[in-house]
Amino acid sequence: MAHPFQCITSISSDNGSCLLAACGSKILSVKLDGTVASEWSAEAVLQSNSAENDDEEDKRPAKKQKTAPVQAIVAASPNVIKLVVSPNQEHVVAITDDKAVRVFSIDADFALNELSQRVMPKRPCAIEVLPDNATILCGDKFGDVYSLPLVASPINGGNEAVNSAPQPTAVQPSTFKPSATTLTVHSGRNRLALEQQMKQKNLTAKSKEPLKFEHKLLLGHVSMLTDHTFATREIDCKQRGYIITADRDEHIRISRGPPQAHVIEGYCLGHTEFISKICLIPGTDLLVSGGGDDWLGVWEWPSFKLRRKLDIRAAISGLGSEETRVAISGLWIAPAVNIDDGMPETVLVATSEQTPALFCMATKSLLEEDSTFTTVEIPKSPLDLTCIDDELLLSLDERTTDSPRLQAYRLTVDASDMQTTVLASRSQETETKLAEANKSPSSKVEEKPLNDLLYGIANLRKRGDASAPDEQTAE
Amino acid sequence: MAGPPQKKQKREEKQKDGELPQKKYYRQRAHANPFSDHDLKYPESPAAMDWAQHYPAFAEPQSANSDAIATPRAMTKQVQVADIGCGFGGLLFALAPRMPETLILGLEIRTSVTEYVQEKAKALRVQHSVAGADESASKAVVAQHENATANPQHGLYQNVSCLRANTMKFLPNFFHKHQLSKIFLCFPDPHFKARKHKARIVSLTLASEYAYVLQPQGRVYTITDVEDLHHWMVGHFAAHPSFERVAKEEEEGEKEDECVSVMRTETEEGKKVERNKGKKFVAVFTRIEDPEWP
Repeated sequence: MAHPFQCITSISSDNGSCLLAACGSKILSVKLDGTVASEWSAEAVLQSNSAENDDEEDKRPAKKQKTAPVQAIVAASPNVIKLVVSPNQEHVVAITDDKAVRVFSIDADFALNELSQRVMPKRPCAIEVLPDNATILCGDKFGDVYSLPLVASPINGGNEAVNSAPQPTAVQPSTFKPSATTLTVHSGRNRLALEQQMKQKNLTAKSKEPLKFEHKLLLGHVSMLTDHTFATREIDCKQRGYIITADRDEHIRISRGPPQAHVIEGYCLGHTEFISKICLIPGTDLLVSGGGDDWLGVWEWPSFKLRRKLDIRAAISGLGSEETRVAISGLWIAPAVNIDDGMPETVLVATSEQTPALFCMATKSLLEEDSTFTTVEIPKSPLDLTCIDDELLLSLDERTTDSPRLQAYRLTVDASDMQTTVLASRSQETETKLAEANKSPSSKVEEKPLNDLLYGIANLRKRGDASAPDEQTAE
Repeated sequence: MAGPPQKKQKREEKQKDGELPQKKYYRQRAHANPFSDHDLKYPESPAAMDWAQHYPAFAEPQSANSDAIATPRAMTKQVQVADIGCGFGGLLFALAPRMPETLILGLEIRTSVTEYVQEKAKALRVQHSVAGADESASKAVVAQHENATANPQHGLYQNVSCLRANTMKFLPNFFHKHQLSKIFLCFPDPHFKARKHKARIVSLTLASEYAYVLQPQGRVYTITDVEDLHHWMVGHFAAHPSFERVAKEEEEGEKEDECVSVMRTETEEGKKVERNKGKKFVAVFTRIEDPEWP
């Protein structure tokens, strides 16, 4: 069984273009002449410090031990879960499911060279490099968004001011002292517990080690964070940055960009199910959001107004597949060509988990009253998508070795009719170039862990009845 | 486990209209997990919230056309004071007569406790309706209702209500930007264990949300009997650029803010701490105007 490419992205520089594809714990860089330029594997890197990890785990209190064996398995080969490229196409940032943010430089021959790995306190779920090409924005499942310098610099002993996330708890006495006193505790059982604590003298404080690299906590949700994006607007000839964050509890929050990320400008509210992806429409003030609702929201985000709901449930049920519940797994902006005048256009592409189709709509018709999605059926469920020049490369959940895991499409926009439609055609030429990447050997993999890796979005849906223990799943 | 249903039954048996509810039928475990989904009802946005059912005396008279069903009834006033984690509502009922024209809302995550406060508000409204407390309860309800729509001289406690919510997640679903003038955080769950600190009601990142719903110059009042938690709350609000701690004289002493003294003495927990001869730690913060864009 072959392991599909769970994330793909691309780099375009003066030297041409290159596809980066993550397969389990490996990242391949594939030049568009068909050769594999480099192959990087997360396994090798982790072995060097796995001993250190073990030490740490031994010290853990008894209560946490039930998670320890699970971590050990994961640590064996951390899968790549996110892959992004800096705007200047010089660096690649990957998240692996051992909570590490890994930064790579790319050389002229598109070979990856790992510069740093920084283990975050919680597993990151969204990442991007800001337009300054120097800062990483990294959000984790626990709802916190951090900024990290792209090129890591360790914190020196005397330079603690750099860690500007104020953590009043960081300065803890070395001996444990119960913060409750006989005056605060009321119930009999609590009093007993306190007495026990008082008897146990000189317990060493179990405070978490502070992160050893420069980072800054910008903002946070109590709800589970699912996606974030950085937007800029020009006002009075000055660029203003905004951080837009989305969470499982139906919020889209718009905060100011650093250094004023503590100011919340507003919320785009209206979703009634989880939000899993948000996507800015370039050249406009529009933001598209999707998740568990039957529709995608088109927001005018600077004024927090919902301009339109795009029915996507109808498009999904039109496929006749079993899964008709919406679980948006991706929103992208893809290039296209106008069929009449050959002018460049852009198309919004949406995918839903376990649904073998792309749902396309020309961005210029997003607000047109009767525009609907064009459904492009594909052989298997899409996993990730990237664009090189005017082509769209697609990673499919293809687990047999005889069918390609990567496909290429060209999109055209037909606006001649009353309704603007999108046409898609396979690009055979590019696909032959991808043949080698498609054939590249992959690690053995079981069905179940692979499904867990690829499909997590539908699980965000809340169960109507009992209260789901969120905290445990997030840990 | 016949506990809760029996309690509920007793509640209904014992309580008559206009009679104060008894706390013993509404007790509930003092902790709730803020990260869990629970089974919460919340509006999708503040505009979708039907405040008229909470404050009927402050609702605009129903317009004749029946379109009004789709959108919630308009209000003459907006909620301005929020008591987050109001518990059994001691502070709410102490503040309500002191500021009869300001809408006060208690937010509580525990179902039974919320019900208690709602019942108590209902009973107090009946007892203090303009028509007179001595009349029979049913009559008073009618009178109060007529008062509510026809006469702005409504009785006391019309300005206080309570709803079940997890404010750590859904504060912006209830309140518009800069809507509130005061937020009270009284005797919050201290979450002693370090790994539970993220569940505390005050954190640097949550302070941004409090700043969002508070108007500039609005205030956050905190009180606790746990010194460690006090330092935690002071530390986080002080570190947040949108908040500034008010001068000591306003927190205690001659110039003391009226709300502080009410908070010290009238909250249910405050009374309990008093009985235990415990210490109370108070801190008040002002919300500063947002900075100019850089």
